[in-house]
Amino acid sequence: MRVPRLHLVTDPEVCPFDRLLALLPDLVAAGVDAVHVRARDRGAGELLAVAQVARRAIVPPAVLLVNDRVDVALLSEADGVQLPERGLPPEDVRRLLGRGRLVGCSVHSVSAAERAARAGADFLLFGNVYETASKPGRAAAGLEALQAVARAVPRPVVAIGGITPERVPAVLAAGARGVAVIRGILAAADPVAAVHAFRAALDRVGGA
Amino acid sequence: MANWRGVRLREALRLYVITDRTLARGRPDIEIAREAIAGGATALQLRWKTGPLSEALQIGRALQALCRAAGVLFIVNDRVDLALALEADGVHVGVNDLPVPETRKLVGESMVVGFSPESLEQAVEAEAAGADYLGVGPVYPTTTKPDAGPAVGLEHLAEIARAVHIPVVGIGGITAANAAAVIEAGAVGVAVISAVVGAEDVRGAARQLREVVDAALAERSA
Repeated sequence: MRVPRLHLVTDPEVCPFDRLLALLPDLVAAGVDAVHVRARDRGAGELLAVAQVARRAIVPPAVLLVNDRVDVALLSEADGVQLPERGLPPEDVRRLLGRGRLVGCSVHSVSAAERAARAGADFLLFGNVYETASKPGRAAAGLEALQAVARAVPRPVVAIGGITPERVPAVLAAGARGVAVIRGILAAADPVAAVHAFRAALDRVGGA
Repeated sequence: MANWRGVRLREALRLYVITDRTLARGRPDIEIAREAIAGGATALQLRWKTGPLSEALQIGRALQALCRAAGVLFIVNDRVDLALALEADGVHVGVNDLPVPETRKLVGESMVVGFSPESLEQAVEAEAAGADYLGVGPVYPTTTKPDAGPAVGLEHLAEIARAVHIPVVGIGGITAANAAAVIEAGAVGVAVISAVVGAEDVRGAARQLREVVDAALAERSA
């Protein structure tokens, strides 16, 4: 299964859901190829409502992924899920989701990445590579740690945490297949222009 | 998976114990559950508000096995995916969780779906949408669920119990001292957290509650 390269991770604290949903069609058209909807501490009812609207805006080849909640992913007919490092195990999730869905796992170490890969994750989200306002007080894992994860597992690794278009070449050189962004797009003065910048940076290096 | 929907469900809702790690005084969920069941709990709900879901899955597997062996109804709160992964007997949702029709769609026809309405209208709608039972409360003031809102009282429970055909359990601040009034108001059972999970003697607390509920039910049908 094709693994997306430019992931947009939503965060209602950074961009309220109504604004996000209004922006989504343009962001997808500009080149976002995976959108992760997340509730944080909101209820599953709200997450489902958001995922269902997002579903209509996210057209192939872009994919809709639901963070953590497999039940919401099933009901919104999402293309897959993004599991927290200590969420439901990928084996159980695969059984619930059925075939043909994308299962991503967030990992923060080589050992967690190896475990997730063995359990059948399609790709791994590793971070935070740089310091980021989304994880205040948490030190950057760094490019070397990203490289160690990318070398350790036979699965595509997507880098997250403080990624900017300028940093994309270094992140890809460290072995990442793609990048995931929250503030870099959603807190940008012009989110569509930000997507274009990320897309250009990714495509310049080419599909790894 | 045993099918609990229908007549059997009423019996299973007599004493409904909800897990809560913060009240358990460091005792493992499985130990609390074992003692509560020994004391007469008829239903057990895994309520997982914080902490990794991988851990909830492990604890849930142990609770599920325990409940199955004891013939106790095993319910998972909020997370329908966790309920499905565990092959739980049922799932319980509230007004901010997945809606009842969507929950029913996911779990199919054999799994029990419980719902916590916040109004009479929601109660009636949930019944029409396929809920099997309702948890109504907080009947009395409670500190266990900070988001539960002010006590709605027995009259509210009685009103809902009269309006729906599915069984209603009371929840919120219920103890052996005030449980009989909840049954008299029309509930088929009581759901408790702190009265059992937070008790020094979990088994004794469960037994005392169960006795009160059984006596009140016998009184009501007499």
